[in-house]
Amino acid sequence: MNQEFKQKYLDKYYKAKQKGVKFFPDIIYKDMIVSFGLFLLLLGLATFVGVANEPKADPSDSSYIPRPEWYFLFLFQMLKYFPGNLEWIGTTVIPGVAVLLLFLLPFVDRNPYRHWSKRKVAISVMSVVVAGIVGLTMLAAVTTPPQTEAAPLATSLSEQIALGQDTYSIQCVECHGADGEGGEIIGVEGLEGVVLKPINDQDVMYTFTDETLYNVVNFGQPAQGMPPFGKAYGGELGPGEIEALVAFMRYTWDDRAELPPEAEQRAAPPALAENEVPSYEVHIAPLVKRYCISCHRPGKKNNNYLMQSYAEVMTSGDHAPNVVAGDLGSNLIRMLHREEIEAGGPMPPTRALKPELIAIFERWVLGGAPETAEQAAQLAAPALPPPAETLQVSPVITITLTAPVTSPLPVTATLTVTVTP
Amino acid sequence: MSTAQKVYTWLDERLGLTGIYNVVLDRKVPKVNWWFTLGSASLFLFVMQGVTGIFLTVYYVPSPDHAYDSIQYIMNGVSFGWLIRGIHHWGATLMVVVVSIHMLRTFYLAAYKYPREVTWLTGVVLFLATLSMGFTGYLLPWNQRAYWATTVGTEIPGTAPLIGPLVTRVLRGGADLSAVTLARFFSVHIWFLPAIIAATIGIHIYLVIRLGISSIPDKDD
Repeated sequence: MNQEFKQKYLDKYYKAKQKGVKFFPDIIYKDMIVSFGLFLLLLGLATFVGVANEPKADPSDSSYIPRPEWYFLFLFQMLKYFPGNLEWIGTTVIPGVAVLLLFLLPFVDRNPYRHWSKRKVAISVMSVVVAGIVGLTMLAAVTTPPQTEAAPLATSLSEQIALGQDTYSIQCVECHGADGEGGEIIGVEGLEGVVLKPINDQDVMYTFTDETLYNVVNFGQPAQGMPPFGKAYGGELGPGEIEALVAFMRYTWDDRAELPPEAEQRAAPPALAENEVPSYEVHIAPLVKRYCISCHRPGKKNNNYLMQSYAEVMTSGDHAPNVVAGDLGSNLIRMLHREEIEAGGPMPPTRALKPELIAIFERWVLGGAPETAEQAAQLAAPALPPPAETLQVSPVITITLTAPVTSPLPVTATLTVTVTP
Repeated sequence: MSTAQKVYTWLDERLGLTGIYNVVLDRKVPKVNWWFTLGSASLFLFVMQGVTGIFLTVYYVPSPDHAYDSIQYIMNGVSFGWLIRGIHHWGATLMVVVVSIHMLRTFYLAAYKYPREVTWLTGVVLFLATLSMGFTGYLLPWNQRAYWATTVGTEIPGTAPLIGPLVTRVLRGGADLSAVTLARFFSVHIWFLPAIIAATIGIHIYLVIRLGISSIPDKDD
């Protein structure tokens, strides 16, 4: 830009300033409106969107799909187009040149004109770059696969304890018992007959710090037969889950720690009123989860009786059905009463359930083994009072077969009775 | 003369308040539009990030053993901790957006040309420092997202020929992401970059006041 151009610009700018406004208040007030708007926006985002809770960093979990902050996504996406030997072009050359150009822009762009109609090249180049960045960002957002099942997250202490209880029920109960009482291991491959010391007493709780407990769960004690549970050593648990497990053990078994009331409430068996019929979802599932599921899930020795859902509880297993609505002679009930039957031995193997818990199972089976609380309420509801004009129908229908049925296939008969007053 | 006036005169004689008022506030500027508010908006967001960031350091612990838990505590235990962290988190996003648009406005209206070349240079420094703040701040919560994004992010310069592996080692403070990485990202995030940004903002604003806000070009420009 030559002297003449510079002088012309300065003169014109001087005139524009004279025709212009005062910085205070004209400009400042606009600035403050925009900043205040941004402030409100920030408050809104912080309050109503918040910050997503993420699991703790786990250097051993390489299955995690890394994704950068959104404003680096375009770089991330661009690198995909420079595979193998060309990678350094995408990682260093292009960003390096871009930054350099950005710095040198006032010296590279020697065009003295300022109106867009006289800087078509510069405007076009920048517009293409901006469109490219926006496009790459959107492409990255669309094509990045979603994170595979995020580990459960606990935010408060009582949530952490609840998560720890669930983890304990699944991973630990089969050997250490539902309350950490230990005893002889029954029905666990490779550890049959091993007798475990309790882990819920003062010997353990007063001498093991949280860190020790964490390490024992994470690494296991392979020489003594305890397998590792941490993902880093081939187990199933991430750091957050092990921490929750340790919190559960500490707050439940250490008599110096005080279990938060909220957690205590969660740990208690669900309330059951005098005339209420228990339902699977409210009463049975929590008990099954706590006392049974450690073995009655896939991959364990359990005669194929899985107990992870209502359907499985009712129908799965080599000796199915193990639960028959209305029948206290069901396998499940007999085994809870520690009978040795064809379907198997006493359950849970090492220690009987408390009588009041067995009673819940019995009331559930007797009441018709309903799945949902709604169905249970219907079963419990007293029969409706008969209508004024009562229709007497004898409910006994006897079907006598005059000839023996011979068929290789099961015979099914359906009888539909319609009563019209 | 009232007491207030006396105090003001006394201070003005020593601090030159009237001079500052005349130079900074009472200056004439060309008529501009709303796009010209984004510079001060960027400054506002920087101050917000600074204030919320300072509050966060009260409870945040930059070690792999405690970083995650300290943030859980900020979110659940500290009164209004969630609000402070929420503002800091979203402020980062907003700042990148606002600074970028401010820069594009400067480009499209040719405001980087004579006599404002140095203002542009300091602006580029501020833009890159803002992105670096985003990159270093992303690791601090020490969650899965942070850990793995930074693992990949620090690998990227490692692909450069010759000096690449060295750059990665320097960024991480070792072969892998570790306590050292967290410590240096923390330090860069709360000391190095804010110091650079604050100083550069000073130069940037001095230049804006000295040279005046650029005018919107017309057809003859």
